[in-house]
Amino acid sequence: MRYVGSRVGRTEDGPLLAGRAQYIADVTLPGIVEAAFVRSTLAHARITSIGVDEARAEPSVLDVVTAGNLAGVTRYPHLVPWMKDVDSFPLARDRVRYVGMPVAAVVADDRYAAEDGAALVIVDYDELPVLVSVDDALADDAPRLYDEWPDNKLMDLPVTEPEVDRVFAEHDVVRTTFRMQRQSPSPMETRGIVADHQNGRLTVWASTQSPYILRTTLSMMLGLRESDIRVIVPSVGGGFGCKLHQYPEDLVVPWLSMRLGRPVRWIEDRAEHLMTSIHAREQRMDVEAAYDRSGRIVALRGNVATNVGSGEVFIPGTSTTLVSQGCLTGAYDIPVTEVSAACVVTNKTPSGAYRGFGSPEAIFAMERTVDKVARLAGVNPRDTRRAMLPAVGDGAFVTPSGGRLGLGSHRQAFDRAVELGDKALEAARALYSGDPRIRVGVGFASFVEPTGPSYYGTTGFWQSYDSALVRIQPDGSALVGIGVQAIGQGIQSTTAAIAADTLGILIDDISVICGDTDLSPYGLGAWGGRGAIVTSGSVVKAAEIVATKAKLIAAGLLEANPDDIVITDGKLHVRGSDEPSVTMRDVAIAAYVRTELLPEGVDPGLEATATYEPPGIDTEPDEHGRMNVAAAWSNASHAAVVKVDITTGTIEVVDYVVVHDCGTVINPQIVEGQTTGGVAQGIAGALYEHVVYDEAGQPLSASFMDYIVPTSLEIPPMTIEHLETPSATTTLGVKGVGESGTIGPAAAIGNAVSDALAEFHVDIVETPITPSSVLAAIHAAGAAS
Amino acid sequence: MKPPKFRYLRPDSLEGVLVALAAHGDEAKPLAGGQSLIPAMNFRLAQPSILVDLELVSELQTLSRRDGELRVGAMVRQRQAERSAEVRAACPLLADALPWIGHIQNRNRGTIGGSIAHADPAAELPAVAVALDATLEVSSTRGSRSVPAATFFEGPFTTAVDADEILTGVRFPVAQGARAACLEVAPRHGDFAVVGVAASVRFASGGTLVEDVGLAAFGVGAAPVRLTEAEAQVRGVELTGEVCELAGAASAEDVEDPTADIHATSDYRRRALTELVRRALSF
Repeated sequence: MRYVGSRVGRTEDGPLLAGRAQYIADVTLPGIVEAAFVRSTLAHARITSIGVDEARAEPSVLDVVTAGNLAGVTRYPHLVPWMKDVDSFPLARDRVRYVGMPVAAVVADDRYAAEDGAALVIVDYDELPVLVSVDDALADDAPRLYDEWPDNKLMDLPVTEPEVDRVFAEHDVVRTTFRMQRQSPSPMETRGIVADHQNGRLTVWASTQSPYILRTTLSMMLGLRESDIRVIVPSVGGGFGCKLHQYPEDLVVPWLSMRLGRPVRWIEDRAEHLMTSIHAREQRMDVEAAYDRSGRIVALRGNVATNVGSGEVFIPGTSTTLVSQGCLTGAYDIPVTEVSAACVVTNKTPSGAYRGFGSPEAIFAMERTVDKVARLAGVNPRDTRRAMLPAVGDGAFVTPSGGRLGLGSHRQAFDRAVELGDKALEAARALYSGDPRIRVGVGFASFVEPTGPSYYGTTGFWQSYDSALVRIQPDGSALVGIGVQAIGQGIQSTTAAIAADTLGILIDDISVICGDTDLSPYGLGAWGGRGAIVTSGSVVKAAEIVATKAKLIAAGLLEANPDDIVITDGKLHVRGSDEPSVTMRDVAIAAYVRTELLPEGVDPGLEATATYEPPGIDTEPDEHGRMNVAAAWSNASHAAVVKVDITTGTIEVVDYVVVHDCGTVINPQIVEGQTTGGVAQGIAGALYEHVVYDEAGQPLSASFMDYIVPTSLEIPPMTIEHLETPSATTTLGVKGVGESGTIGPAAAIGNAVSDALAEFHVDIVETPITPSSVLAAIHAAGAAS
Repeated sequence: MKPPKFRYLRPDSLEGVLVALAAHGDEAKPLAGGQSLIPAMNFRLAQPSILVDLELVSELQTLSRRDGELRVGAMVRQRQAERSAEVRAACPLLADALPWIGHIQNRNRGTIGGSIAHADPAAELPAVAVALDATLEVSSTRGSRSVPAATFFEGPFTTAVDADEILTGVRFPVAQGARAACLEVAPRHGDFAVVGVAASVRFASGGTLVEDVGLAAFGVGAAPVRLTEAEAQVRGVELTGEVCELAGAASAEDVEDPTADIHATSDYRRRALTELVRRALSF
């Protein structure tokens, strides 16, 4: 191993940093025209008429289409058997269920003219009652969002465990309702799609995390063969989950190109992103915990209710709730549990995939509960956490929902986070002890991240495998194609390191491609902390096939036994002796050009495609309803040190500690980058970002003036430490790490603020934690006492 | 987020600007840096059919000191004023307030007059003008007039400037030697304030008694709020810790019903203001 484990710089950054990368908005074609969308201005209404005549009469407007025009387009498929059918279509047919829902599309020479045209489309509505909260939608007399449903639950998974009541009867029980707020993934690059239909073939450029799944969706809904569609993904400026979904614009823009016979493009603007790209995380969590005198939780009942908005999104947004349900107890050994979950529809933008995917919500509720229990039991939460975590070397621990965690470093990671966190707390105390208006506190969070999961739980269709193509070029370098999509996470660099090590050639001789369904191999894309697991699995497999053949050819050239050939730094030679040798280039020349040099029976060419289905993922629950849904479970412990000004309520995270274990680290620099960005996004959710609606379902945080994304000035210095407990089942022992950083901050900061304000009995149960909410809590406590 | 069509004029004299505004009235809007107007146009919240850019009007870009006043031309860039030694010496509160506005990139484009004429209730400069009893110079083809800051700000994004007029400059009374502070709570550095205070205090010569004080809050109401009750606690006395506390507490009476929005409650703004006033006076 030369490259895996070392800090080889990221290979993809040159063009990104120099401003030379091509993003979706940079894609232009001769004769291209632009689309703009007319969107619902009401949260819930029947459409009584759509007046398009005035817009159509504008000379610069080429076309105006509504749902009735979309000939040949079928509705979004219903593929997930355990959720209700959401009958939805790319343009609203007769009813709108959230502000921003596309009602009509206008095509013009440029975006300015298209927006002018859109402003001339007149939509008449009959208003319907609006549901904005889970509580509204679950009320007995609540109107139904979907007339054919008996209630407003898109998915309902109640669980009954009578043992919980028995344990509760014998112990003290603490009950809390936690709420996490609605957030917008907000990548730096918004969504966008460019389509060009000609000669019977549709080419689509998209800013997506899953080009093949977009292709399949286009095929299903536009009635084209998959082979007649090519999806190309330019550089992607961040995805964070929101680019996993196949949005209305993704269907309408290709259809418009088919209709008009010319290229059409639509680039999402920031207002559209905040209003119509999926939101996430809005969830109510009722948690009841029974505990013994030592502060150990002996039984836990949870009820998770996610506000999934209108639910009109494909792939569906329901499975974050499944993760909240399944991962609520993290790695804690809690003997008796009962966790129910439901997805509730409301008149808000549909919710969906966002980095962390149900875990930040669950871990916030769980870790706050652990601290509350410790406070009530009069014990140190450090001790209770430690006692409930799997012991060193306990690879047999299974979570209540069936997660087989395998070998990890749960206690070591926690102990180290405590050591570093307490040190940082002391430093903060020393710094601020002279200021009577400042309080400091520390909070911890310990959790596991399910990585490399199956997509079945989300899509009801796709599973979990991916592919790699490894092709030695005639010059001896290698082209590696992967099905995972590059979205900024550094997958090209890690793939190159793995391929270089397996092939025995230099990393500079590897180029990596992805994101072109005509060129890169079939795959499911970038999500679920799967990239490292499935690319290492498939790239190693394909590269080993290629290396074996290269050795066979080299053995012929060197007149040696193929079993004795090894590859070092691009040279193939007999084990134990550097000379004689041939280069990978010599082998490639024989494979591609001078084929008369090939040993007898060896075909020309030097490439292989291999697939990798991560092992150990259950496809069905066992008799207790438990299943392991992930290929590997990474673990982490976070510590946050905060400083709270009790006169203004301002909160500053002064230090942040991450001790994590993602198994074999392919490239520490990339893991640290993922962790730093993830923590920043987690802090954003803990303290700043909040998609707010009023009672009429109108969005109030519709621009970056009001949707507060923290900048580098708000993000504290971080200490990141790696522990490496390789997975026993994945290739190279890797576990995923893409979402881990996002999971801990709401919990750790919630605990830290509660710790800092313990004298005021402040108990953080909601995010975001803002100066306004903190000051209100301090004064409420003062008034109560 | 694209504006509808508009005409763009860029006169090279004040007279040219005033003639254009006189001709087009409500249809036209002066552009003075564009840090607020251009986003509003992209959101189609503002839809002027004619944009009159003040960029080339050199007489609006001067900064001068005369007769006990610092005169800042409306088109003086915020960053230019921020870096000016003359501003720092003559008007320390203005110098203290400027770094709170957006980020350097915004201040490189944004202008003193643009911010004041825009009259965002959460902006710093309108409060500075109120706290310092500045005089706002307004012109049209009908003539010029001066408006005291106390009556200039009429409500959110609304001022005494008529449709055919522009703000040409601001005259701040020179407050040499004054102690000043601008403090605010904002979600992020560079954001408009949730609540803020602009404070300027002048002591009697050679003494410790407060001779003159100007306090104005922003982010709490429809326009900057002069904190007269708080000022009364301070004027003519020594600025002890206790007096600062009293002034802070008194400021709660100056803001009857502070703004409530998605960032903070009304109670929060009142409570945080009392602390900001206390701190602003604790030099």
